[in-house]
Amino acid sequence: MASSKLRKASAAADDDAKVDMSPMIDMVFLLLIFFIVNATAIIVQTDPEVLPPVAKNSEKQKDGSGRIVVNVHEDGTYTAENFNVILKDETDIFDLVKTQKEANDALGEESKLHLRGDLNAVFKHSRTAIRAAATAGVDQVIFAVYKTHKGLKTK
Amino acid sequence: MARHKKSTKEPEPDPDLDISSLIDVCFLLLIYFLVTSTITPRETDLSLQLPASSPPADEQPKIEPMFIRVDASGAIFSGTGAGQQPLDTDVSTREVPLLDSQLELYSAAANSAGSKPLVQVYVDPGAFQQRVIDVLNALSGAGISSVTFTDLLE
Repeated sequence: MASSKLRKASAAADDDAKVDMSPMIDMVFLLLIFFIVNATAIIVQTDPEVLPPVAKNSEKQKDGSGRIVVNVHEDGTYTAENFNVILKDETDIFDLVKTQKEANDALGEESKLHLRGDLNAVFKHSRTAIRAAATAGVDQVIFAVYKTHKGLKTK
Repeated sequence: MARHKKSTKEPEPDPDLDISSLIDVCFLLLIYFLVTSTITPRETDLSLQLPASSPPADEQPKIEPMFIRVDASGAIFSGTGAGQQPLDTDVSTREVPLLDSQLELYSAAANSAGSKPLVQVYVDPGAFQQRVIDVLNALSGAGISSVTFTDLLE
């Protein structure tokens, strides 16, 4: 019986206990600000299998609008921005560029070929993609490069 | 009077918030993020406007276009035929000092002639992407944007 009295007394004491939420809210805001500051806008979705070359005189990516991404893999295979979409040949690239160009034209955006060629791919594959894009009416080419490979997981 | 005194409340002590634990956690998180974060380089752009898009010039250019050839091994040459001159042949480095100086001279000559520098690039189909980018990087450094890939005209 004595123990039940004690239990009742301790239960009454627990009712008064309150959790101070303010430090947690402070922390949540702190983390939110940290992630907002650190976040960078993704210009284009990149295929992790493709490692673009290095060019010191390249410029920071500013605008993602109108970019038609073609990835050129080391073995000469092509993928679109959604790298699950495999482009078999020049005709597939032409179709992709033409479709996306029409969509960009409807939005009033200038179409550009964003060519992500692997540094170890031979240039003839990139040339094929450039030719297909030019045939589809896109003659502005942006080569995706890095200013440096430092800090990058290379193959 | 005694009853009156009983009813008066004693002034409550100022509420204090102990923030030391919060600061501890803040520093802990800060150190965690500093230690675990790595600076990953972001992709950049090397833009090129193919000549097909630019309107045809009304008059002939006052200066001959410069011709650059990249062979399958990655060696860079300037000029054509007998006047062909080997420039940078070391493919292990990203620096192309001889091409840079040639482009600087050509660019200065074009500017003094009041013409836009024009460059034609022939790339062997077997040349690596990185070597072509080295050439385009040198062209970008020299401020030359009018580039034609002659191998596109097959």
